[in-house]
Amino acid sequence: MNFQNPGALLLLIPLVGTIILLYLLKMKRRDLRVPATFLWPKKTEEIRANSLFQKLKFSWLMVLQILALTLVIFALARPQTVQRGLAGRVTVLVIDASASMGATDVKPSRFDEAKSLAASAVSSAQTGDRIAIVEAGPVPRVLCALSNDADRLRRAVSDLQQYDSETDVGGAMRLAASLVGTENSARIVLLSDGVFDPIANFAPGKASVVYQTIGKADRNLAVDALGTTDTPNGRQLFCGVKNFATVAMKGTISVYSDGKLIDSDELTVDPHGHWGKTIAAPADAKVFEAKINSPEDLLPADNQAVALTSPGASLHVLLVTHGDLFLERALALDPRVTLDRTDTPPADGAPTYDLVVFDGIDETPVKSRGVLTFGAAGSSSPVTDQGTGNGPSFKSQEKNPLLTGVDFTSVYVGKSQQVKAKPTADVLAQNSNGPMIVESKGDQRQVYVSFEPMQSDFPLQVGFPIFIANALDFLGGEGDSSRLAVHPGSPFSVASGQSGTLTGPDNSSTKIQSTGASLIVRQVRRVGDYKLNVNGQDRAVYATMRSDVESDIVPKATLALGTVAVKATQSPARFADFWRPAILLALLVLVGEWWLFAKRS
Amino acid sequence: MASLATSLDPRDLRVLEGLRLMPRKSFGGRVRGERLTSKKGISIEFADYREYTDGDDLRHLDWNVLARLNVPVTKTYRDEEDLAVHVLLDTSPSMQFGDPSKLECAKKYACALGLLGLVGGDAVYPRALSARERPMPALRGRSSFHRLAMWTDQLRENSENPIGLSASLRQFAGASARAGLVVLISDGLDPDAGTAVRIVGGRGHEVLFLQILSREELDPDLEGDLRLIDGEGGTPAEITANSSVLNEYRQRLEAHNSEIRDAVLRVGGRYALIRPDEPFDYVLSHTFKRQRWVG
Repeated sequence: MNFQNPGALLLLIPLVGTIILLYLLKMKRRDLRVPATFLWPKKTEEIRANSLFQKLKFSWLMVLQILALTLVIFALARPQTVQRGLAGRVTVLVIDASASMGATDVKPSRFDEAKSLAASAVSSAQTGDRIAIVEAGPVPRVLCALSNDADRLRRAVSDLQQYDSETDVGGAMRLAASLVGTENSARIVLLSDGVFDPIANFAPGKASVVYQTIGKADRNLAVDALGTTDTPNGRQLFCGVKNFATVAMKGTISVYSDGKLIDSDELTVDPHGHWGKTIAAPADAKVFEAKINSPEDLLPADNQAVALTSPGASLHVLLVTHGDLFLERALALDPRVTLDRTDTPPADGAPTYDLVVFDGIDETPVKSRGVLTFGAAGSSSPVTDQGTGNGPSFKSQEKNPLLTGVDFTSVYVGKSQQVKAKPTADVLAQNSNGPMIVESKGDQRQVYVSFEPMQSDFPLQVGFPIFIANALDFLGGEGDSSRLAVHPGSPFSVASGQSGTLTGPDNSSTKIQSTGASLIVRQVRRVGDYKLNVNGQDRAVYATMRSDVESDIVPKATLALGTVAVKATQSPARFADFWRPAILLALLVLVGEWWLFAKRS
Repeated sequence: MASLATSLDPRDLRVLEGLRLMPRKSFGGRVRGERLTSKKGISIEFADYREYTDGDDLRHLDWNVLARLNVPVTKTYRDEEDLAVHVLLDTSPSMQFGDPSKLECAKKYACALGLLGLVGGDAVYPRALSARERPMPALRGRSSFHRLAMWTDQLRENSENPIGLSASLRQFAGASARAGLVVLISDGLDPDAGTAVRIVGGRGHEVLFLQILSREELDPDLEGDLRLIDGEGGTPAEITANSSVLNEYRQRLEAHNSEIRDAVLRVGGRYALIRPDEPFDYVLSHTFKRQRWVG
């Protein structure tokens, strides 16, 4: 125990001395004439002293008064005791909900251990302690703002969900700092295995950061590659396995084609080594799956991979833009899209993308399957640039799959290019400036839109994500819409005006409401095979996780948080104020003193 | 009779006219009176036979026995003499307490009991305890009631050089007063009151002790830190008046009163405790008549 204000203890001597001095004063009694005094017991209780000095007599009142005074001064000295526990006076519990937290080296899992620690912290919190619960998922969530309501906090802890994906721990920590960064003696407690990218741009403010590491082993095999390629010898399937452990691991890899086992191998992978195999794949197969089974494996989330063979099943898209969140979000929501972004046109020799989207940046020739251009026609565009026009009015649109579910009559366009369609192009919609939507089906599929989305209210219309989905269908080539490969934790959209039902690997069903033009599915959190029923048709949704960051499950002893490194600690200390019990005890003593005084007087 | 107006009203006097003091013992008198004594005398109350001797009054010779047995016997009779009634009134300073004061109440009962003695033909000796004055001579007959009333009226508490109750009683016992009925009216607030009563009783007196204590003395309502000044000049006492002290006071008072009552009963006397504010007729009927002080 120590004292925050030890100087207050010096008051004890003069104040106690004053009380004793008062008891040294002789009682001045009221004279009363009575018939006889021999019947009266000569009992005196010195409860007041206001006259000359006398010999000090023992008095329980004096003892109780000195005791009460001592307790009050003790409280004024602000005594503190050192306690061990996660919760402090003001605490934000940040629980890592990433895929690596599903490792089972801590039973039942690291994530369950984190929840247990959080529940313990809530239970051990003292009166007046405030705790917030933040889930570090793909999108950080505050499940419970700063509160001392234990029931609410426990509900928040039980609501924590794990995702088989990388998560935004940095964003969660920044969110926590924004909650308590201005409070003195606040504490941000990160319950994690430390398996995430270093966190930049983080400053805890006045709060301290406590990192409670969870996990103790690193044994993990992951299917890190599965893909097909067409060769003169037929379709080949490549399957790769990586060992993230520091010891060699054994396992069994099984490869399925449309659900049928086509290959299985016993394998041993060196520490941090790779194993790969190429096998001949059936030409007409639609879905390939690879699953690895190892009794030593601690993380099941990365033990399977899925490859869809249709050309449009996955699209690697490059968005060339100065910044358009609407367009970026509409593209990212499509489950087929893996999106990269740049603000400069790709140079020759740059990686080949399936699709390139030019948004307000002049189109340049690219080696991709398709090109989507917004308001910036180039030499390779299906139109010829003839200038710019303001406030064009809508004129007409054709019936075309590209424009299914899209209505331009109510779209306001502030500024658009005036273009002339090339002979090989088809004009699908026109406004007063000329062609507005133009498509081309040459060797390279192209779609040209004469205005930038940000120069119109088109992104605010329900038809915008439908148009993007239609454009991806057209530009990516014919795909198989009955199968989707998605990443857990990432929402995706499916064009539909009606609600749908998502059935999980555990056969639990969730109804998903339509936003009017599409279904946005956010419920795929864990890997596995889902079924999405839309418009009476079932779509197979394969959720797989492939992340070197998450698969390397070795717990980190030190974290890089902003400019500082935080070491793991098992039981952080806190100073608990002890003055409240002292004041309470002093009050009780005073009540006793009052009772004794009343009884004697 | 002016003083009677303040003590006994005409109704009380009418009631008292029909009553007499009723001592349990018989005492020898100095003059003929209305009280039978153990001495042989000439009353009409037959006492015994004895052999005739020369000089006996022939009027008392039992002629029937002489004729039948031829033996002369003389009838003897009990004598009737007056009774000495000592009315001892405590005038110590402690008697001034109470509302009405204990002394005023004591005067009233002294008058009343003295009147009973006077109308009964007894010799009433009023005496103020704690006073250094000479005792009055005996009062006899109804006509002396005025003097008795005047005496009680002029009595004041003796606050200057008071003599304590026990000392006064010892003085009375040592004065060789004629044995008789001692009507002692006092608050009894003297530590040696019981002993003094036994001494008085040991002198052959029959003691009627009427103890008067005020309501404040029986159940004091005090609080706080007090210095108690003894009304009779005793040692002051410093107390903190709380429930504990008050309870102990009540216990001590009860023990003190019990000691007095036991001393009175032991010497064949009678004892009663009344409050000054109790109605006179209530005390007369519920105390004096019930305990057969009067009849």
